[in-house]
Amino acid sequence: MSELSIEAVHLSRRFGSFLAVDDVSFSAARGEIFGYLGANGAGKSTTIRMLCGLLAPTAGQARVAGFDVKSAPESVKASIGYMSQKFSLYLDLPVRANIEFFGGAYGLSGPDFAARADEVLRLCDLEQERNAITGSLPGGIRQRLALGCAILHRPAVLFLDEPTAGVDPVSRRHFWRFIRRLAHEGTTIFVTTHYLDEAEYCGRIGLMVDGRLVALDTPGALKKRYVPDRVLAVRGRNLDEAAGSLRGRPGIIAVEPFGAGLHLQVASTEWNADLVAAALTSAGAQAVEVEPGVPTLEDVFLAVVARPREAHAP
Amino acid sequence: MTRPARFLVRVGAMASKEVMHIRRDPRTLYMALAMPVVMLLIFGFGVSFDMDHIPLVVLDGDRSAASRALVRAVSAGREFDIAADSDEPTALRMIRRGQALVALAIPAGYQRELAAGRDGEVQLIVDGADGVVANQILAKIDGLVRAESLRRIDVAAEPPLQVKVFTLFNPEARSALFMVPGLAVYLLAIAAVLLTALTVSGEWERGSMEQLFASPVGRLEIVLGKLLPYLGLGMLQLLLVVAVGAVIFDVPIRGSATLLFLAGFLFLIGMLGQGLFISVVARNQLVATQAGALSSLLPSLLLSGMLVPIENMPRILQVLSSVVPARYFVHAMRGIMLKGSGLSILWGDLVALAIFALAIIALATARFRRRLA
Repeated sequence: MSELSIEAVHLSRRFGSFLAVDDVSFSAARGEIFGYLGANGAGKSTTIRMLCGLLAPTAGQARVAGFDVKSAPESVKASIGYMSQKFSLYLDLPVRANIEFFGGAYGLSGPDFAARADEVLRLCDLEQERNAITGSLPGGIRQRLALGCAILHRPAVLFLDEPTAGVDPVSRRHFWRFIRRLAHEGTTIFVTTHYLDEAEYCGRIGLMVDGRLVALDTPGALKKRYVPDRVLAVRGRNLDEAAGSLRGRPGIIAVEPFGAGLHLQVASTEWNADLVAAALTSAGAQAVEVEPGVPTLEDVFLAVVARPREAHAP
Repeated sequence: MTRPARFLVRVGAMASKEVMHIRRDPRTLYMALAMPVVMLLIFGFGVSFDMDHIPLVVLDGDRSAASRALVRAVSAGREFDIAADSDEPTALRMIRRGQALVALAIPAGYQRELAAGRDGEVQLIVDGADGVVANQILAKIDGLVRAESLRRIDVAAEPPLQVKVFTLFNPEARSALFMVPGLAVYLLAIAAVLLTALTVSGEWERGSMEQLFASPVGRLEIVLGKLLPYLGLGMLQLLLVVAVGAVIFDVPIRGSATLLFLAGFLFLIGMLGQGLFISVVARNQLVATQAGALSSLLPSLLLSGMLVPIENMPRILQVLSSVVPARYFVHAMRGIMLKGSGLSILWGDLVALAIFALAIIALATARFRRRLA
């Protein structure tokens, strides 16, 4: 038996004349971290809401934790954890009261729940803050609390909608370490983000553009497929004008500013570091240094988004 | 764990969270407990329909013993004070400026007519801008003038017909007795509707409603968890308002206190349900506050019979008032507090309150979609 935690088949959602999610199909196995990437308004949250039983699909179907989201949304809700973009905590209440409330909402009570609440406070490193008023805490701690509230009932699938928005980098790192541990213990994670560096933590990534799932694979495979060419990182002076002379020459696929320098995508058959350095120097750049770069998911994302819409058809 | 046990756990979690919100928010407590008492004191002391010391201008064109006797009869009591003894233009000017509310004009020849056995005619000029005030002035003067004319016929004789009036339930015609039960209803209505309208729409705004919908908490569980704490708070408020009425305004409870709180209980469920319905539909605190205030304030003030007798309303408003729960609760409160009415008289009010409560809760729960769209 294949252990599929999430299975979406031709899932669509229409709001009036606007097709927010357009014929999306994918699946996620138990214990997988499935990343869902896309620009704002690409349909990420709409997909999550359909999978959580919050929004009825216009067409298609989905099974989450073994239950159909259309016919058994209550069973779906009992087996998932959901952390929404705004964290949705009660800011006027203490940390511990939030934990107790959400536990009660999932029907947990008694000594077992008290023990579990303590465990979650410890897991999320919230023991110091247990009596603090939630609204007085910084974003990173609120995020841990929201996560804690979502895992109290040990859900089989955890949905995270932009879980790291507005959280500092150190907290984000801790957060992801924790998510990986949950996944390792068998929780399936479905996470949307627009931090592309974070997407590297995901086992597989789906890329949403205008409501359609246009790419779906592991980060490595996506890079190989969409950025097959050599990536070169260039540093130096007067690069901006010199970069213009490279654009449009055969074998030059992309010239993007990156930090103080440039990121180039070139066809490896025609260009290498020395040739690029020579070309830029002759175009007026000084102190040019060219190093082989590593393709990032940002490169993938830009490559996918830049392709004309027709090319996205499967 | 069994289903009913889970249901109770969830309702309990909702309710105890709500209690924590209330305890941490001084505004809620103020709105629920302090505001009604303060308003009751202001209205109870400030609003009185009993008029005394009404400024009166005398226009005595006769200057005779008889005219002086009439003026004395009118101004002897505490009802009227003579503001001036003057001529007609001055009297009109004073009435226009509000320095006097009424003028008593006695024409020249008044004494002569009376002595000749004919009718003595006097004229009354009343400020009719406020109909309630004008009516009271007319009634008071009419009584005083009648007494004076009886005295003139024969000082010693008893009039052949005597009407002795016994006013039941409120013999001194004190406004407070009439006002406090109505006011209590009005204040309870506003507070109850606003409190729930705010709390549910707050969950929408905060985004926590979405979080709740993603959990297995059912809508009836949310509704009950939201209502129960405010029902408790509302009952406390009712107790406080009735106590202030009894202690400060001497408003009695002649009937059964149990019946009074039963009616209050049903009324509060209806009002809390109305607030819930509004916030379910509005989903934002600003709109919910406006709609809540408007839908509770105006009907319970104007259509409940608290100020304006329902019998005097146009037919259409009478029909409209039959769906205003405050109407039944005002009737029940006055009945229980002032007349000592029992269940045999008030059962209709209780049934109407119960029907409204059930209907509005059912409507709110039905409109409460747990899906976002």
